[in-house]
Amino acid sequence: MTSNMRPKNLIFAIVMGSALAAGTFVATRMSEPAELRSATALPFPGPLPDFSLLDHVGQPVTADTFRGQWDLIFFGFTNCPDVCPITLQVLANVRRELMESGAKTIPRIVLVSVDPERDTPEVLGQYVNYFGEGNLGVTGTIEDIQTLTGALGIYFGKTPTSDGDYTVDHSAAVLVINPGGEFSALFSAPHVAANYLYDLPIIMGDD
Amino acid sequence: MSSIRLSVLTLFTACCALGACNADPLPPLVASNIEITAAMPGNKMSAGYFALTNNTDDVIRISSVTSPEFESVEIHESLLENGVAKMRRIPELSIAAKSTVTLERGGKHLMLKRPTGTATQITLNFLSGDTILLGVQAPISSRKN
Repeated sequence: MTSNMRPKNLIFAIVMGSALAAGTFVATRMSEPAELRSATALPFPGPLPDFSLLDHVGQPVTADTFRGQWDLIFFGFTNCPDVCPITLQVLANVRRELMESGAKTIPRIVLVSVDPERDTPEVLGQYVNYFGEGNLGVTGTIEDIQTLTGALGIYFGKTPTSDGDYTVDHSAAVLVINPGGEFSALFSAPHVAANYLYDLPIIMGDD
Repeated sequence: MSSIRLSVLTLFTACCALGACNADPLPPLVASNIEITAAMPGNKMSAGYFALTNNTDDVIRISSVTSPEFESVEIHESLLENGVAKMRRIPELSIAAKSTVTLERGGKHLMLKRPTGTATQITLNFLSGDTILLGVQAPISSRKN
């Protein structure tokens, strides 16, 4: 009965309780990985949905395409003069710096088009190859792209411009897919190479 | 005493009005740090970044930018709203008196569409209505970021 506890015992209980709590806190902190600077790691990585798209040489792309390596996926379009090339250049710089620093794991860069009307595999191929070797361009029908983006919480939508042309609004995040083909972390815009170089080794277990 | 001061001031003002005090006055509008990115492979799209300085005492409004080396030049702004990247056309660039407006990556920029040739040096004309306020030459650079 707590109400009958003698003051001496009460103090002992408080001291012991505090020590136990502090010990648990320290143990938890020690077992945690280093803190991320910019990225958000998903507590429960989720598998990609079933989808069927095409890569920049016209080969099928499915959830299996994202197994076996780390991927950085950006959703954009080639008729975008500012945000898309800036983001892809940041990712290309990150890849190059990881290679130059001798990192064990080098993620692949993937551009999923949100403008399949204009981004044919051929157009996309020229575009992604501009940012280095080994990059993957993905396109397909609007419906098939939406199967992937919808499951990942990625938004995109066409917006007409005054000259009768159109632009595409799209989520600016870069998603990290682990070798198990699971969406495991994301980087929000604005994208800064230094943040990737700090966080990616932690996310990929290379730190 | 005060009449002497007034005379000196009058003389100074008169000199400046005749252009004798400053042989090289500031031009009203100056473009600097111009960068025109090379068109990306797979499309025919360049971006233009620069700073525009208004040295006058009045606001300057740029309603359009043209370039004979491109079929279309538009003034745009990249926006990031709730994690969504958007690009919107800006009807005019307004530069307040004695101030500078900067067009830079991820913000205001020029979108230059469909080059008419393979020129590596281009002309940019900054217009207010039908009047060209400033014409500058700039090289097309490779992308660097």
